Amino acid sequence: MAGSTIDHMIAMTVFLGAILIFVGLFNQTIQTAILYQRNRYLATKCSDLLDNILLNPGIPENWGKSNIIPTSFGLQDPEFTQYRLSPFSLMRLVSTSGKPVTYPKLGLVCSNITMGFGNFLLVPYTKAINYSLASRLLGVNGTYGFQLTITPIVSVSITKVQSTPVTLSVSVKGAGFPLSGAVVSYCLIIVKPTGGQGQYPAFITQYGTAHTNTAGSAILSFSTINENQDSYVLIAYVHQGGLIGTGCYEHVLNKENYVVPFLYDLGSEGGKVLLAHSWDVHGGDHPAAVTYNATFVILTEDFTLREMPLGAGRVGLLNYGNDPHTYEIITIPTYNPGILVVTYRKSANPKDSGVVLMPWGISSLAFPVIFGEDLSNKTWVATDIRQVLVGNVAYQAKLALWSLEGYQVIG
Amino acid sequence: MMRTIEVFLVILIITGAFIIASFYAVLPVPRRVSPLNLRRLALTTLQVLDSDYSLSSIVFKNPSDPDYEQAWSQLQVALSALLPPNIVYNLTVYAVRGDGEEQLYIPLKSISNAESLGIQSEASSYLVASSNVTFRVIPEKIGNVGGVGGTLYILNCSDARGWWITGYSAHTLAQDLYNLLSSYFQKTVMVQNTNQLAKILNGTSLQGEVVQGAVIINTFGEAVPIPAGYYATQGYDSQARSYAKYCYLLGQRVRLYNFTWVSIVGYPLYYVSNVNLFPDGHNTWGIYGMRDVGPAGLNAFLQGLDGKSYSYNSNWITNDVGVVQLSPTAVYYCNYYGIYPSPRQTATRALSASILTTYNLPESRVVYVFNKVYKNNDWWMPGAVFRHVAAGDNKVTGSFFALGLTRTPDIRLTALGLLCAFKPRLYRSVYTAVDATRLVVLQLGQVGGV
Repeated sequence: MAGSTIDHMIAMTVFLGAILIFVGLFNQTIQTAILYQRNRYLATKCSDLLDNILLNPGIPENWGKSNIIPTSFGLQDPEFTQYRLSPFSLMRLVSTSGKPVTYPKLGLVCSNITMGFGNFLLVPYTKAINYSLASRLLGVNGTYGFQLTITPIVSVSITKVQSTPVTLSVSVKGAGFPLSGAVVSYCLIIVKPTGGQGQYPAFITQYGTAHTNTAGSAILSFSTINENQDSYVLIAYVHQGGLIGTGCYEHVLNKENYVVPFLYDLGSEGGKVLLAHSWDVHGGDHPAAVTYNATFVILTEDFTLREMPLGAGRVGLLNYGNDPHTYEIITIPTYNPGILVVTYRKSANPKDSGVVLMPWGISSLAFPVIFGEDLSNKTWVATDIRQVLVGNVAYQAKLALWSLEGYQVIG
Repeated sequence: MMRTIEVFLVILIITGAFIIASFYAVLPVPRRVSPLNLRRLALTTLQVLDSDYSLSSIVFKNPSDPDYEQAWSQLQVALSALLPPNIVYNLTVYAVRGDGEEQLYIPLKSISNAESLGIQSEASSYLVASSNVTFRVIPEKIGNVGGVGGTLYILNCSDARGWWITGYSAHTLAQDLYNLLSSYFQKTVMVQNTNQLAKILNGTSLQGEVVQGAVIINTFGEAVPIPAGYYATQGYDSQARSYAKYCYLLGQRVRLYNFTWVSIVGYPLYYVSNVNLFPDGHNTWGIYGMRDVGPAGLNAFLQGLDGKSYSYNSNWITNDVGVVQLSPTAVYYCNYYGIYPSPRQTATRALSASILTTYNLPESRVVYVFNKVYKNNDWWMPGAVFRHVAAGDNKVTGSFFALGLTRTPDIRLTALGLLCAFKPRLYRSVYTAVDATRLVVLQLGQVGGV
């Protein structure tokens, strides 16, 4: 009888232990399957959300060209269908990548996309759309976090090969490979050291085309430039088989005192840009007044740049500190993407010159946009990509999405 | 003991069940759990490649073309540049046959960057049509009949500024006009600056075109570009301190060269503009680079057109007549040319009918774009093409098209008015070529990783 009871107890104990182990093992498998299912759902959500952002212009549809806060978020260019994005809606997104820039005189705190010295896009937070608002408008606030990255597919990098004569190498690459046999259309703007004290800088433009070789590079030589006397900027557009990319190279003689352009307002008759003295923004040594000459250029259908006249304030003098003439506001009278070119010189010395650029619509200088939360340390991030056009320039849109409701399955 | 053995047997059975279940319940690899949407990526890649119709042009190239291989090689370079390095592709072009053919899709050409597309691939298809098979309309060229004219000048001067073209720039309006009208003219020339405008006013051709009988469209709204030099000095009335005399010179040139001068919106010739000539002058509304001429500009223009001597006259000759209707002629040509602006517009600068008799613009030669309106005991003309016929003559010597509508301009009305005036015929034909459509299939796969 005792032996039977002991046998029963041992059998029961072993049985219960084995059942527990097997329940754990099966549960592990089921949990993993459910987790995979949720991640699969996240990937589908990511693809849907990306399409939702890219195939919808938002409400109102022209919010990118105004100061209006949209009531529905979308980036599609309202004048087109399919995957064409508005360069101006993208311009109004708060950039995750750059450190904010402050202009204390007017209390402006700006989202910052800066591609090296002289290429600025500074948008005040009061005019920009932040991540929190976009997240709410997309209906994912509190449930999903995301980061949207819009990067140009064709990367155009320009480097100097030699100084006399000035020879520049334009290197063109796609997402995977160099772009051989592409047409390079360029515009060279040379700031000339003319005039006496207080005069505005003069500049001349030069246009041309070249082709990239099998390694995707083209060599351009300019005998008209004297590097010791002239500041200059080369803007290059590259096109092949529907792909368009752009890049620029600047040689600046005066980096101590320069002009910083801020987007100031987006009105119905064009945008307003505030030009400020660099010392009031970044500080620095040896501050001095600068004179400037602002020009707006747009890309035409034959890939040449064409000047558009600017109105009041296109030339002027900017001082620093407590002087009354520390900034100027100019109007860009169009919502065609283009480039604001501001040539400047030290008021007292024409040789201390330089040039800065500001894209009007992100595509004109192929600026990238990173919008949303930082995705480092996020668990199981689903990504999806699309090829898009922004003002005819080819970009890749990538959305990274993660769940904010945790990824563990409670078993 | 027996129960313990039974339990072990049960454990053995459950273990077997677990192993068998695990064998069949294979979890997918992470790439399949969270995949890239390759189908969408393929579709958007094809759309980008065809954004300037490059893809359409290449897939319809004839293999006997000397640049056939080079074009395909460029497509492959662009495709490789577009896709991330871990994506492999296969692009195949199929000819689409009609109903009577045995095979609907016939493969024509295929390019790929890998022998295999991996364990999983997705494809998107994109249908392209040949540019040779669209419904074709050949317009008659203005100037074919009569032997003169046929040139369209569009003022696109980079050194001038516009007024009452709110929301547009002269450049965008010029581009739109080019797209709408260039196919109807022998030659269309964009006048890029005021120096070029001076040349055509002097009768000098810019690109070998015929100057006599040309149409000049002023895209600057109520402002008109003024060239520096002769026209600025001779065009300045120092007594009245006005550039109205420039408008008089314009009228003379319109008569001399039998031009058709087109004003697209508002009060014609109300300002003169040249950013270099008037860097500090503005139009009293804060737009720099222009000077106010006022109504004297149009009066002077009409004096010049009619060969009268110049006399400064600042009397208004327009009226606000409110909502106006397209004329029956214009409605007819809307259908003929396929241009459909709104038939009801607001006219605040309708011209007085008194100009017809004062300046020898016979009503029998007027082409009304909008119906004339009776108001305040007078007739007003919101939009019409006026032709000048000198007294005792039967020949047209200069024309003037004024749209006295309020801002913002609808450029289609300008195009419609000119087409109503010149009436070029349209020769329509359907070009039914075979092999009109091709199907492009892009298949993408991922390599590397799991």
